[in-house]
Amino acid sequence: MTATMTAAAPLSMTAATTADYVNPVIAATQSVFEIMLGCTAKRTGLRLKQFPEPQPEVSCVIGISGRAAGTIIVGLPKEVACSVLERMLGTVTEEVTDEVCDAIGELTNMIAGAAKAKLAKYELSISLPSVVTGEGCLMHHPKSICPFEIAFDSDIGPFTIDVAFHVL
Amino acid sequence: MKILLVDDSGTMRTIQKRCLNKLGIEDVVEAEDGVRALQAFEAGGFDIVLTDWNMPNMDGLKLLQEIRSRNKDIPVVMITTEAERSRVVLAIQHGVSDYLVKPFTQDGLKEKLEKWMAVRA
Repeated sequence: MTATMTAAAPLSMTAATTADYVNPVIAATQSVFEIMLGCTAKRTGLRLKQFPEPQPEVSCVIGISGRAAGTIIVGLPKEVACSVLERMLGTVTEEVTDEVCDAIGELTNMIAGAAKAKLAKYELSISLPSVVTGEGCLMHHPKSICPFEIAFDSDIGPFTIDVAFHVL
Repeated sequence: MKILLVDDSGTMRTIQKRCLNKLGIEDVVEAEDGVRALQAFEAGGFDIVLTDWNMPNMDGLKLLQEIRSRNKDIPVVMITTEAERSRVVLAIQHGVSDYLVKPFTQDGLKEKLEKWMAVRA
């Protein structure tokens, strides 16, 4: 599917740079979903987020540091987050339990780690994952960073990944 | 066969423990960070250590250093998202025995475990 850009990119964010960041995250996501969850993740959209928007009910944030800084945020509706746990451990739940948060944290850790390996030239380090739950949370980024939202659909439902990098 | 399994994610510990159980290993001690792992290790009796790298309190690389200062022979397998060559080299320099990158397949994990179980048998 063709990428949909809903806002002009900042001057510092060239198309090449965008591809530099976004493509490794897409590839890492598809690989992790395939290996750990046994399901296919298809990218359905790509856009810039100019203003804080409500996050999905379960969002996991991993900080990035090194020659680029920022965050990778995996956001999932509650039902999809629960399905991740079911795919990983076989545990069925309809509520966002500690187990669900742990599974989403590890899933995000693997996505960020795999993307980091593909971005070796930036000598990145990643933080431990933190999971935010609840409806309507707004994520505020530093003004120098304009995050990309990559939308996916999968066998277990839709989810998004926000990539908010700033080259140092 | 007694295994020390170290990962801050309960999900990953469960996945690995199930694989160990399928291979007939029931004696698995779990730890959620390097500090608790080192306390368990000092109690002794382990044949293999499986450890994550990025963990709170004490990470896997520091744990590896601490274990190697006490025991140069026990197999320590790093199971981690740290996939860059420079990180693998760093772990080797600190005495890691083997390395498995997350995400891993069940077969990939089983292969590593069987390899080191055969060495310790």
